[in-house]
Amino acid sequence: MDITLQAQELHYLTLSQRQYSHEQESMQNPNHHHQQHQITTSQTLESIDPSASGKWAEKLLKECAKAISEKDSGKIHHFLWMLNELASPYGDCDQKLAYYFLQAFFCKATESGERCYKTLISVAEKSHSFESARKVILKFQEVSPWTTFGHVASNGAILEAMDGEAKLHIIDISSTYCTQWPTLLEALATRNDDTPHLRLTVVVTAGTGGSVMKEIGQRMEKFARLMGVPFEFNVVSGFSRLGELKEEDFGVRDDEAVAVNCIGALRKVSVIERSSFIRMLHRLRPKVVTVVEEEADFTSNLDEFIACSEECLRFYSIFFEMLEESFVPTSNERLMLERESSRSILSVLACEGEGGGECERREKGSQWCERLTGDFSPMSFNDDGVDDVKALLRRYRAGWALLPAQGTDASGLYLTWKDEPVVWASAWKPS
Amino acid sequence: MKRSFEMHGTLELIHPSEQWDCAPMSFKAARQYTGVDISDFMEHVARQLSENSENTADGFSMESLSNETFTPSNREYHPRKQARTYYNNSDIDGGNAEELQWINGTQSYDNMINMTKNKSGDHHHHHQNDQQGLSLITLLMECAVAISVDNLEEANKMLLELTQIASPYSASCAERVVAYFAKAMARRVMSSCLGGGTIMYSPLLQTKAILSAFQTFNTISPFIKFAHFTANQAILEAFHQRDRVHIIDLDIMQGLQWPALFHILATRPEGPPHVRMTAMGTSYEALEETGRQLSGFARRLGISFEFHPVGRKPGEVDPAMVQTRRGETIAVHWLQHSLYDAIGVNWKTMRLLEMIAPRVITLVEQEMPPHSGQFLERFVGALHYYSTIFDSLGATLGCEDVNRHKVEHWMLEREINNVLAVGGGEEEMFGGWRTELVRRGFAQVPMSGNSMTQAQLILNMFPAMHGYTIQQGDGTLRLGWKETGLYTASVWTSPRLMR
Repeated sequence: MDITLQAQELHYLTLSQRQYSHEQESMQNPNHHHQQHQITTSQTLESIDPSASGKWAEKLLKECAKAISEKDSGKIHHFLWMLNELASPYGDCDQKLAYYFLQAFFCKATESGERCYKTLISVAEKSHSFESARKVILKFQEVSPWTTFGHVASNGAILEAMDGEAKLHIIDISSTYCTQWPTLLEALATRNDDTPHLRLTVVVTAGTGGSVMKEIGQRMEKFARLMGVPFEFNVVSGFSRLGELKEEDFGVRDDEAVAVNCIGALRKVSVIERSSFIRMLHRLRPKVVTVVEEEADFTSNLDEFIACSEECLRFYSIFFEMLEESFVPTSNERLMLERESSRSILSVLACEGEGGGECERREKGSQWCERLTGDFSPMSFNDDGVDDVKALLRRYRAGWALLPAQGTDASGLYLTWKDEPVVWASAWKPS
Repeated sequence: MKRSFEMHGTLELIHPSEQWDCAPMSFKAARQYTGVDISDFMEHVARQLSENSENTADGFSMESLSNETFTPSNREYHPRKQARTYYNNSDIDGGNAEELQWINGTQSYDNMINMTKNKSGDHHHHHQNDQQGLSLITLLMECAVAISVDNLEEANKMLLELTQIASPYSASCAERVVAYFAKAMARRVMSSCLGGGTIMYSPLLQTKAILSAFQTFNTISPFIKFAHFTANQAILEAFHQRDRVHIIDLDIMQGLQWPALFHILATRPEGPPHVRMTAMGTSYEALEETGRQLSGFARRLGISFEFHPVGRKPGEVDPAMVQTRRGETIAVHWLQHSLYDAIGVNWKTMRLLEMIAPRVITLVEQEMPPHSGQFLERFVGALHYYSTIFDSLGATLGCEDVNRHKVEHWMLEREINNVLAVGGGEEEMFGGWRTELVRRGFAQVPMSGNSMTQAQLILNMFPAMHGYTIQQGDGTLRLGWKETGLYTASVWTSPRLMR
């Protein structure tokens, strides 16, 4: 760290400390407090010239998280104030992270997380149409392999596991609006042997309107007709938590080969229900279960605010940076993805338990491996599958790479962004 | 240093990508609209509000506006640019057939489906966008009312909604404005919740980015040049046949204005005068740098030049720091902006002006209610003002234009935040600079025909079909967009001078 930076940091910390002692003294006089607060804060802010020292958001947010877990009201006020001055959802990464984490921290400190989350969700639902949501997904897939990685890997595993089967039933628990399936349908249609019959059952979590699924279903049916694949489309909805689902809900038939496709699905299951959910999947007697999850851990640190916020910050810094480098600066789609992330951040940091609606408690690949082992054993991706993924990555900008899971109990494939594992894809068969 | 009187390059027109569409929201006060610029709407609202100004904040009701059918004046309706899919395949590797199939898999699926659908025309899209934008403005105003009566909870709820929906990259100017205003109001509400008032941003915060955005604004918009050139013209006239001149710039920033004046002074038939410049600003290092640049420039033109930096705001300056010499002709210049508080204490600045007794004061002001007014009044004035600027930018630059975004985010967002901030307003009603100057006995000098010519020449540098308008009245020159005046230039002289 260069000297100017160190000096700035010292300056900033000294001022902060001076301000704290001021606050102790002036507790009796609220007006004086405010004035001092303002003057000192603006001096402090100047010493953080964001154009000079990058990554100021990380430092400030960490200090703020510490203050919140220590319940130090004066410090909390101070840091929230500073974040409020510097943050903007329309600026650079630091400004964005500051803005969205500020919201989460504020809700945490004022215990208004659930209320805020509910409002945000209802606003998002009201303002998103099928068209707009689909546009975001497609644009994201165009500029980044973040979601397509999992699709390609899973399709490869599914095709391998279902080779030779005449009747396929894919149970799809994901939120990418069936953008995964056209390629699979094409592959099925161009197989050397007879084209199998495909049933696709899509599990719809709360928030996706009925009209959306109808639209998707019609499109899929049309496409399958064009491909010449006998096709059936079903929707499972009407439940409030994924953990409520039972094997009967899927209508699995005896003569079918079942594949369960979980893309970002397991993290949506309440933490306490995860084991039983996996057992339920086992009872479906699937030929293969594909699991794709983002590489972050918001579960093991459920009760440790500092650890959880640091992990949140680590993950979303990478994600936001990736978004910034993948999209044009004025992209509406990127803005939607950032706002979606902000709801996740709020849910993880400011909502108690899972009362805040959809769970977003991610776990890392190694943690999912532990959960799945026992009921399931890992299937490795065949060479063709891996080649497909490699080919996929080549069509995006530099920075993306493939990393097989290492270690004895580890399995699956990681997508890495600038050498950081970000998405984990795996395939499992019942043991 | 870049010479500010150079012609700027032709503006590049960039086609916007497909419109961002969201389902229109329903609001209490529905408005009848055809697609018009939001500046028209704001004119209408501003008029309504000034008529209702006797009402206290409690009595202010949106319902009084809700049943109005606003008919736009007979002005040309500017169709938005053709929406065109801007994404192209060029950065995807040609690769082998297998790879292409993967991409085509999703895309052809998409295309096939879309071909069977009836895509709505661009005009309809545009109309829908404006509806959306104007609905957002309505909600924004309701939110401002909530803030003005300290109903922070209600305001917060509305802001949660606004900040989730409005996008600053939208094709709709109204929506862009709402995005930034909502963000500024959220900052203010958050500050209040944290138990304090909001203050204006410090001039030392993120300076480089701000100044760069200011320069970009100077390139894509005529307002700054208008300010510079009309002021320079008045100063030139005041310096007629004077050999010792002293220019005092109350907030010099990077001194973009002065090279043009130096050039003209250097080519005077009677030869250049000796030029002294006193420059005020908050960062001494920045002032020194500006001084270096200007000195170099003056030297190259053969002008004998002295530069005095004063690292203070004019309202904080000890008058002794500003040295005036006998026999020199003094010009004081001030271009108002809201990037930060450049002046400090208003009445002290006035007193400084009285003491200096300049031959000419060139003043360029933003047409907004003074900072010490009521929040709601300031809000409406600011909304009107900035909507107009956003409209003017949107008329020439596409919604994806990076320069436009830079100006909107770094400059205009900063100004909006400052204008909506509390503070600085401990002063008694300060009725605006022109009013104060009159009150203190300064005499207004009508803007000359030459200044008008200068203004016209500047506008000719920008594509003629766009709606910039110059208005003349009360001895001032005002540059605006369509019917809304934005920057007003006026010239004053000190009452103590006999000449």
